[in-house]
Amino acid sequence: MKPKRIEEDIQELTTRYRPIISFRVRKALGVQNTDCDDLVAEILSQVLEKIKTGEFRGESSLGTFVYTITSRRIVDYIREKTKVMKYAPEPLPYPDPQETLEAKEMSEKVQKALSRLKPRYREVLYLYYYQELSRDEVAQKLGVSSRKVSELVNYALKLIRKELKV
Amino acid sequence: MSKCKFENLIDGYLLNKLSERDREAFEEHYFNCSSCFQKLQERDIILRTIKNHPELLTEEKAEARKPLLVTLRKELAAWFTPRQLALAGITAALFLIIIFALVPRNQAPGPNFSLTDEETVRGSSITLISPVIDMNQIPSSFEWKKLGENVEYQISIFNHELLWKGTTKENRIVLPQEVKAKMIPGEKYSWQVKAFAPDGTLIAVSSRVQFKIAAQ
Repeated sequence: MKPKRIEEDIQELTTRYRPIISFRVRKALGVQNTDCDDLVAEILSQVLEKIKTGEFRGESSLGTFVYTITSRRIVDYIREKTKVMKYAPEPLPYPDPQETLEAKEMSEKVQKALSRLKPRYREVLYLYYYQELSRDEVAQKLGVSSRKVSELVNYALKLIRKELKV
Repeated sequence: MSKCKFENLIDGYLLNKLSERDREAFEEHYFNCSSCFQKLQERDIILRTIKNHPELLTEEKAEARKPLLVTLRKELAAWFTPRQLALAGITAALFLIIIFALVPRNQAPGPNFSLTDEETVRGSSITLISPVIDMNQIPSSFEWKKLGENVEYQISIFNHELLWKGTTKENRIVLPQEVKAKMIPGEKYSWQVKAFAPDGTLIAVSSRVQFKIAAQ
């Protein structure tokens, strides 16, 4: 990828990678962490800077390049915080999707879809996602095959996705 | 959206079940694969919603909240095809028609209940035609509506007590002279008709109607 071409596509790159970087950062630091936005902006500018200065030579894909910068910055951030706070900030494992209006709306649609599911789909989702049992454990509990559990989970997800598209 | 081999790692990644190596491989992958990233975002919302609202998956309220008829319809739909359901409906309707419309017609007339000789009657009744209002003179005949063939009618005329009782198979009876002679102008009288089947069963009773004979 030539620097000239990249200059023209800066906007496109930002649009494409901002949500991915943001997802990775929030997963590592927690959605409630107020430093997330700053960190994402910093990573993006680092990426663009490195591309401009020709540090990205196209040896790997651009995605891998962005991933590497993101991961390094996350590690640095945790290291800095550990020095100051003694302990690194522990992200909440599964925060309620409220961080953006879009996440909130999607979550409401998911709730609606969940309440409409037939009992057997609700049961399998509860065991698999809420209780975090493996497919084999769910299969044993329900007296069905592991493959059947996959089918049930996939079909339930399909029904939920259908609701999300409405 | 094509199926990607990394898709199977989405749940493991979100539930923090992947090995360090797989986790890093998957992270690098979703930085490169927009299809997987889109699915990851979607699954993340679904998973977090489940984690924060487990009651939606465990409580029976989702079923209970639905109106009974909707639930019943869904249950029936699960067992029968629409065609079978329609057939079952028609059969049930025919069955009800037979039970409630045809069967009673073939039965003997239902029993009638007369609690006393007063007017309390349950069951079919006899309509009295004449006399039902005040009369200018002593009536010579009494008439009522016919119930059917082979019915015997018993007519009773009362002042304060039973004055006369007669029977006929017609729906009219002429008052005998000796009875007429006992009736006094200016007095109040009442009459009632009972119908009996050939076997002597009481099948209908009229109400007891009062009339007054005008004073001369």
